[in-house]
Parts: sequence; structure tokens; C-alpha cells
Amino acid sequence: MGKTVPTSTQRSAAESMASTLSAMGGVSAEVSSRTSGTSERSIVSIDCSPENWRALAESLRVDHGVDYCSMITGIHWPDGGPDKNWEVVYHFLRMNVADPPVVDGMVQPIETDPTKVQGSAVPLEIEIRVALPETREPSVASVQDIWVGADWNEKETWDLVGIDFEGHVGMRRVLQPHETPVGFHPLQKQHKLRYHDFEEMYDDAQGFLRKPSDAGKIK
Amino acid sequence: MAEMWISMGPQHPMTHGLWTLKVKVDGETVVDTEPDLGYIHRGVEKICESRDFTQITTYCDRLCYASANTWSHSYIYAVEDLLDVEVPERAEYIRLIAVELQRIASHLMWLGAYGPDIGNLSIMVWCLREREMMMDLLQELGGSRMHYNFPRVGGVKRDLPHGFAQRARAKVSLFLNRIQEYEALFDESTIFLIRTQGVGYSKPEEMVNHGVSGPNLRAGGVNYDVRTAHPYSVYSELDWEPPLERPSIKGADCYDRYRVRVEEMRVSASMVLEALDKIPRGADTYHEPGDPAILAKAPSRAPEGKSGFHHFEDSRGESMFYLAGGGEGRGKQPYRVSIRSPIFITIPYASKCMVGYKVADIPAIMGSFDPCIGETDR
Repeated sequence: MGKTVPTSTQRSAAESMASTLSAMGGVSAEVSSRTSGTSERSIVSIDCSPENWRALAESLRVDHGVDYCSMITGIHWPDGGPDKNWEVVYHFLRMNVADPPVVDGMVQPIETDPTKVQGSAVPLEIEIRVALPETREPSVASVQDIWVGADWNEKETWDLVGIDFEGHVGMRRVLQPHETPVGFHPLQKQHKLRYHDFEEMYDDAQGFLRKPSDAGKIK
Repeated sequence: MAEMWISMGPQHPMTHGLWTLKVKVDGETVVDTEPDLGYIHRGVEKICESRDFTQITTYCDRLCYASANTWSHSYIYAVEDLLDVEVPERAEYIRLIAVELQRIASHLMWLGAYGPDIGNLSIMVWCLREREMMMDLLQELGGSRMHYNFPRVGGVKRDLPHGFAQRARAKVSLFLNRIQEYEALFDESTIFLIRTQGVGYSKPEEMVNHGVSGPNLRAGGVNYDVRTAHPYSVYSELDWEPPLERPSIKGADCYDRYRVRVEEMRVSASMVLEALDKIPRGADTYHEPGDPAILAKAPSRAPEGKSGFHHFEDSRGESMFYLAGGGEGRGKQPYRVSIRSPIFITIPYASKCMVGYKVADIPAIMGSFDPCIGETDR
């Protein structure tokens, strides 16, 4: 049998984190359980209000040892109602990584046995959803200074979805050209995919005669 | 001496793709760097929003030409999380074999490309020769050479073909012997050692804070692998351990990152052999495509307000898909697809690693992180 973290250990660690975090204001945390393959995963899934997000992030990093920012995603919900027009979804992992110890000038590898980890050393998946109200300039607090890995994730979310991160240093376009018009964020739902007409594809491959984006076959 | 900015790329052998690294140099020493991506941004996330769940797999294959199978599997696990599908165990074993063969092929492609970066041309020919064996095996499974479109929501496209187990065992065992040839070619080459040892140090804690994962992190002596920490598929049924390196006091250098990938190929190869032995109903049975033993029935519509995600160990690090289901109103299509690319997050960190080294070290450092621009730009 392979050396993997037992599902029961993961479940109890997730429950203890969720119960501690639920005590914070504006935060509701619960453990959701999912199966993938033959293994069961326990995920701490958290709903947080935008005002409390920064405090929650600091608590996760300092009190719970969440050291790895996996992904930041923005979603535009134009029909989501006044309280949830935009959503920022954060995915974190608790890896519990430290620099290897040095004994007599020799670096020793960290021999963690995944079957025996306990307490705050148990790896965890954390999902956090921050819903933003209806606005033309959605914005949420940046966590770039807590996890440097959030830096380019936040840049990408602003670039593609248009959600701004307050306190982010050096915000710029990363995937789209630098000269993209201000205010154009392609993953907002008012922008539709448009297919080329037959003539366009063969007679005008460069797109010089292209129609405005609201003409043609729109999906 | 006066400092100046020079631009490496978008067409430069160091980039392994298409991007620009702006380097600020003081004489020959790198003082500052600034990566500039997005040259092949294709808008995959936007395209996927108007495709059915089953149609998206082909787009995910094309995210990375060197490691297509791991990307389509990464997507399939996320969509199965969203649609709540239970996969037959035999299908999980077949997937594991496909993913691990792809991991070997991807690492071989990396090793083959890394040799010419630092002045060893013969390794490229050797690695591509062995990669051909892995691609032949994957072609038997998926039917095509590079973009297999192999997994299905709820299982796999096809069972192991007749005689696959025998051919796979022969090829993988031969490959295990040939790894020693690469080690002889690299580890006994003075040029290779001078170019990689003591170059491009990275510290584990710093790497985790910067979001670096996978082989690059394990090169720093950290026992963290998504396959053991958050077990999915049938990795917990097999007897294996992620390979680790013993880094120096300054962290992991390019040589450690090379070593950990070679060891990872060994582990993947032995995992394939073990999975062929342990697969339920034996590796020689054959089920027709669509048989419930290899393909479970899956709903085509996502429930309202549910989201699916899955952390997956790609050959370059932790990849992830996040899918938001739109419910009945949206039909069979996801409302939002978001992709976490390991190299998109690693490139800024790798660029920081170069500060303090010479301009000539840049290809050695960048190449050792295994960049792939197809997945980075999406």
C-alpha cells in the first residue's frame, strides 16, 4: 500500500479548522466531502464577506499554517442578484513545508511519513468564496503580500475578468496584449464568442473587413 | 558599469516556447528580470464556456503538446467532481497507466530539450528515441500520437488493447535499463556538471510561498506530492513513494531538478508495471468501448450552483481546473472554466532565481524548471 494521508485524519483536521474559522465574523466554514477515484477528500469550504476577507487570510496564514495559494478565479454573474454580481474563488493548500534542517553542516531531507501526520501538519484543501455586490468596479483586498504565489493569479483575474485587487502592487496585463483597451475584460459575460463567416475565413484571413462584433453568428 | 535592459525572446532557444524575458544586466551579471507572457493566448477558458462538458476534453489536450494526457485527465477529474460521477476501478487503473506513461514521455521531452540548452546535443536524440516507445504505447490507447482525447466523463474511451500489457512491460523494462545510459551521459559529463551545479538555487519555503510545486519543489527535499497528500485515482493502492533530492544549504540547484525528474521517470515506470499486475480482472481482458466496466454512466447537466475542482499532479507541478456549473438554464455547458497552470506561476519565480547569476546561466536555470508555454498562455 502506498504512503498516503488517511482520509480519517484529513477529515478530523478539516473539521477542527472549520470550527475555529466559523467563530470569526462574516465567515461561515463547513467541511464538504467528495470522492475522487477510490479516495475520499475532505475540503474546508468557506463563504466570506469582502470586508472580512483580509482578516481571514491573515488568520489562515498565521494561525492555521496555510502556506500555498493554488488559484484565484473571478466569476461574473450578471444575473446573480444584487448581492452576488461577482465572485472571487480562492483555492489554497496547506502543505506544511519548511526548509530542511541542517545537522553538522549537512542538509537533512525531511522524512515525513504521510500516513503518520497529525494536527496542523495534515495537508488540507481549502476553498473560499467571496461574493461581491453589483457594481461597475468590483474590487477585493489583495493577498499578494501574504502569499507571493497570489501575485500573478490576481494579475490574471484582473486581466481576464476585471476584478480589481486593492493594494496589489504592479497590476498589469499578463495574458492579453499591453495595448488592450482600458475596461476590456473578455471573460465578462457581456462579451460573446463570435464565429467567422465563410467569406471572412477564406477571403479575409487577416480580418481587415471584419464586421463589428455584434454582427454575424453569435453564440 | 552602467546597467541596461536587454530582451531575450520571444524567439530565443531559452524560452522553450514564445515569451519574452527582459533582463537588466550589469556587465554580465543579471540584476533584475521581468517576464512578459501572453504571446499565444488562445482564450481557451472563454471557448470552453460555450462547449459541452464532453467537448472540452479535446481543448484540454491541446493545452500542452508535451503532456496532453495529464491535462485532459486533470479536466476530467474536475468535471467528475462537478457531475458527481463514480468511476469504475478498472478505468482508474487504465487512467493511471496512461497518465504515468505520459509523465515519462513529458520528462523525456524535457530532458531532450534541456541537453541542447547547455551544450549536450546527443542526449536529445537518445531521449526522443525512448519517448517514441512511450508514444507508441499511448497511441495504442488513445489512437493518435500527441493529442489522445483518451479519458471520458465516467471512465476511458477504450480498454487496454490485446497484447498491450506484454508490449508495455517489455518497453517499460527496456526503458528502465536505458535510464542508466542518460545518467552516464549527463552525470559523467564535466560540462553538464559545471553548467548545472551551484546554479539557480531555490529554497523550499520560498518556493511554496511563490506557488511552485511538483518536481521543482521535491528537488528541494520536500516530501509533498498531490498524489500522496490528497490521494485521488488509485495511487493509494500502489506501493510507491515520491522521489526526493538532498539539496544543499542554499536550496535546490539545477542539478537537483534534473536528478529528481530522472528518479521520477523511474518511479512512474515501476508504477506502470505494478498497475498492470494489479488491474482488476487482469490486463489481458478486453471490454468493448462503452462497457460499464470501463465507462460509468454520467449525467450531462450540472446541478445549479455547484462547482467542481480537483488538484492534480501534472508532470510540471500542481494543475487544477475549476468549473462552475450553470444549472438547467445553461444546459450541458459550464458557466465558467478556470485553469491553474503550474508554469504560469513558476515562471515569475524562476525569473527571480536568475538574479545574481551570469547571462549565460539563464538558459540553464530556465530550462531546469521545465517551462511549457502552451499551458502558460492558455
